[in-house]
This record gives sequence, structure tokens and C-alpha cells, in this order.
Amino acid sequence: MTLFSDTRYLFVRYLKKLVRNPILLFFSLFQPIIFLLLFTQLFSKFSSLPGFLQATGASTYLEFATAGILLQNAFGSALQSGTSIVLDLDTGYLQKMLVTPVSRYAILLGRLTSDAFRVVVQSAIILALAYALGATVTTGVAGILLMLFIVAFFGLAWSGISLAIGLKTRSSETVFAIGGFLTFPLLFMSTALTPKLLMPDWISDVSNFNPISYTVDAVRALMITGYDWATVLKAFGVIGLIAAVTLGATLYQFRKVVS
Amino acid sequence: MSDIITVNNLVMVYSDGTKAVDDISFNVKEGEFFGFLGPNGAGKSTTIKILTTLLRKTSGSAIVAGHDLDKEPKEIRKLIGVQSQDTAVDGDLTGRENLILQGHFQQLPSAELKQRTKELLKLVELEDAADKRARNYSGGMKKRLDLATALVHRPRLLFLDEPTTGLDPQSRAAIWAYLEKLNKDEGTTIFLTTQYMEEADRLCRQLSIIDYGKIVASGSPVELKRQVGADSIKLSLENCAKDKRSAKEILSRVEGVSRVLDSEECLTVYAKNAGLVIADIVRAFDSRGIRLSSVSFSSPTLDDIFLQHTGRRIRGEDLVKSPSALLVGRRR
Repeated sequence: MTLFSDTRYLFVRYLKKLVRNPILLFFSLFQPIIFLLLFTQLFSKFSSLPGFLQATGASTYLEFATAGILLQNAFGSALQSGTSIVLDLDTGYLQKMLVTPVSRYAILLGRLTSDAFRVVVQSAIILALAYALGATVTTGVAGILLMLFIVAFFGLAWSGISLAIGLKTRSSETVFAIGGFLTFPLLFMSTALTPKLLMPDWISDVSNFNPISYTVDAVRALMITGYDWATVLKAFGVIGLIAAVTLGATLYQFRKVVS
Repeated sequence: MSDIITVNNLVMVYSDGTKAVDDISFNVKEGEFFGFLGPNGAGKSTTIKILTTLLRKTSGSAIVAGHDLDKEPKEIRKLIGVQSQDTAVDGDLTGRENLILQGHFQQLPSAELKQRTKELLKLVELEDAADKRARNYSGGMKKRLDLATALVHRPRLLFLDEPTTGLDPQSRAAIWAYLEKLNKDEGTTIFLTTQYMEEADRLCRQLSIIDYGKIVASGSPVELKRQVGADSIKLSLENCAKDKRSAKEILSRVEGVSRVLDSEECLTVYAKNAGLVIADIVRAFDSRGIRLSSVSFSSPTLDDIFLQHTGRRIRGEDLVKSPSALLVGRRR
């Protein structure tokens, strides 16, 4: 079984590619920082609105929004995942791998695990910065690890969409366009940055069906209120469902390419 | 010697209806240096993609390196090396890292891989650039690195899809030298495609000429030339359009002429003994008032073989001629 070792080699390859492109590295590390600072400043007065703190349990808007920023970052990162496979298709590197005995699934897993690793690093930076700015995590280190796990799993599920689109269209532009198109509506129509109490009714209704809301609620619970297992399990259920669909689509498209 | 590739009635029809490979059969002996010669779009790359397990054929059967293409593609992948037309090296990795990663794909043990990487970097003369990112390599260096990655696991059978297309004459000569060495010293069987007559003539011991998905001629370069059986005489007329018809009629009556074909110059005539026949042609044309602007003759080349079998000159010919033409230009 070479799946494990091949995945590791490809994981390392993708990380090297990331680290050796200073501009890409800069943006993937600083983008989350910018978002955290920008959004928490922009909406900081939310916390002085009547009822905000009681409804959310947060002591500041920063504490409320950190979970949302974590998810927003994971979502944005994941949706770029497909561009790498398009590049490998265009340069012929994918074909070059396919004429070797390398495990087919390792090609996808290497990519997915390196994406997840990237999201974990970015998330750790966001959490560290939020901590420096005064936010705390009630559930401590164990809770932080669980939060990172949820965020990485969430990212993995959405990487699937991007990879499937990349494999289907073989165009980086399309991957970026669809990614960009999805990010903001899904993000703003969820409880990522705005509590339900401040939403118009229809957006509040939409957010009830938004998978981002479920994930954000779980991460936020771990940060502010404690181990709310019902919420956490619900989040895993929703992400699992999305992952099944998106990774299924990726696998289907990938099989078409490799056969 | 036994066959390392056996192909029977191979057909490839793409989903848009294009018949890229049209019922071809051939075999390649172990240790052979075999060439597929043909213009762009003849079906060469499609055939390589099928034989290297990248593309699923429409019908037919093939045995590659002792394994059935349909049943044991995984076994085949362990035994073959492939260099595709697009130079696929990872620009973010160094030359050495590219080789090592490829070795991992081929499941080489680390110690052996380290040694093999050193050897290959030496072979393709990339030792000095080994730890620089491949992104910064020149086109020739990238091709050489790509070739080296295809060799990392010492494949018994090496597929090369137009290995020197787009290279300058020096880089091309270097690649030719490695390939000859590899075939001679290590006994690696090489299956090469090319659109360059010169390349096929220089390297290949067995050739198949392919055009519009069909094999139109096969044999060693010498045999193929012998089949043409005659020297070629290229005739340019001062007024080709007007005199062509009567010129052909005259030529059909000249003794020793075996065949007359239209060509770029105007007419190409095949004849047993060009030196004697030319005098007769010139006299006959003169008496009928047809004015020649130039006459040249040569012993048959692969280009003549292609022309004779397909009625056309090889389409990629301009590409071959331009580099040497440029060199001449510089010398002046």
C-alpha cells in the first residue's frame, strides 16, 4: 500500500510550492490577519447595541466574530484549491504522475491534506492574534484543538467543490470566479459576522439553512460558552454531508480525467 | 529477440468523432530504437498516450513490456519511462528534488534513489544547476531534466514524444547523444516519435511512417530508402503553371523515369540513374521550348519516402530547416 507514503510526498510537494512562492505565502498568512482586524474594527459597535451581549454571550464583538473569521478564511482558502490541479493538468505534471505507479488517490489526498494543513496554520495565527487583542477561549487548549479540527474539516469539504470545478472546467479563472461568487453571499447570510438578532427576517431565515451558520455556531460555542456537544455534532453532520457531496463530485471528475 | 511492444488493430476515436488512430498494428523488438515519424496530428501522440496507459483506446489490443494493456496497466507503469511533449517539470522544485520526487513515485528505496539522482544529474549535465529551482532553467535544461526524470527507475522501455521539438541544434545534439548511449550501453528499448526526418534517420533502426492515423510504410531507414529505389530529381520550371502538363507528358516518355510527382519546386522525378536521365530530360525540354530554372538531384531521403507514400512533404519540415538556416545567416 503506497497510498500513505505517496500522499506524504505530494503533501510535501504542495507545501514546498506554497512556501517557495513568497507572494502567495504572504497573502495566505496576512489575509486572515487583515480580515480579523478589519471586520472586528468595522463592526465593533455592534457590541454596544442593546441585547447583543446577552444574545451572544460574548464580551466583545471580537470574541463573537473570531469564529466567523476562522470560517471565512477556511472557506476562501479552500475555494482556491482547484487552481493547483488545473495548473498540474495544464503543465502536463498530472499526466506525468499518472504514467507512474503513484497511488491515484494520493494525488487528491496530498492536495487536500496540504490545504487542511494550511488552514490550520492560518487559523492558529487568527486565534493567536484574537487572544492578543483580548479574546479568550473558554474550553482551553483541548477546545482550541477541537476548533481547529472542525475548521480544517470544513475547509476540506469546500476544497472538494473547488477541485471538482477545476477538474471539470480545466480553467483557473472559472475556479476563482465561482469561488469569489460563492464566498460573500454565503458568508454574510450566515451567523459568521452578524448575530441573528441584527438580521432582517429573510436573511435570518436563509441563515438557518446556511451550512456556514452551523459550523460557526459550533466553533463559537467552543470559544464562548463551552462544550455544547449538540451544536458540535450538528456541525459535524452538516460538514460531513457537504464533504460527501463535494468529494464525491471530485472523485467522479478525477476518475474521468485519470481513466 | 522477443517483442517488447505488440500492437494489434489499434483504433482511437475521440468523443468528437475524430479518428486519431485508424487500425494500426506493429511490433517493437526488445533493445530496438524504434521511431514513429509523421507530421503534426498524424496520431503519434495519441498512440503514445494509449501505450503509456494515459488514454483508453477505442478498440484493438496491445502488450507493453510483457503485460496486457487492459489487464495490467499498473505493471506496465513500473517498467516504462515516459517523456511527454510538454516538458513537465515542477518549476518550484529544484532539479534534484524533481528527480527525487519522481523516484518516490516509482518506489525506489532512498539510498538507491540518492545515488541514482547523482548519476542522472551527471548524465544530463545538470550537476551545477541541481539545487536551483527548475523554473529558472533554460528550455534545453528543462528538457534534459524531464528526460532524466523519465529514467530514474531504469525503465526497460522508454517512450519519448517529440523529445527535441523546439530545441536549438546544440541541445538537440546533446539529447541525441544521451539517447544513443542509453540504447547502446543500457539496452533500453526506445520508442520515439518525431516530425523530423533528420532525427529519425540519425537515431532509429526501425521506423514506421504514420499519416492520418495510418501506418503508411515501415522498415529500417535504409530499407525504406531502398524501396524508393531511385534518386530524386527536383525540377523547377520558369513557368510551372503553364508548362507543367506538357512537361509531365515528356517525362513519361524519358527512359529510366519511374515516377513523377508534383512538389514545391514544381516537379520531382524519380529515376534509377539520375546523372544520365537529367541530360535526356534537359534535351527533351529544350526541343519543346520548356525552360528550366533549376535542376538538382539527390539520393533518396526519408523526406522522399514520405512524399512517395503520402503525396505530401512532411508538414513539420519548416521547423527542421529554420534552425540551420539561422546559423547560416549568422555566419555571414
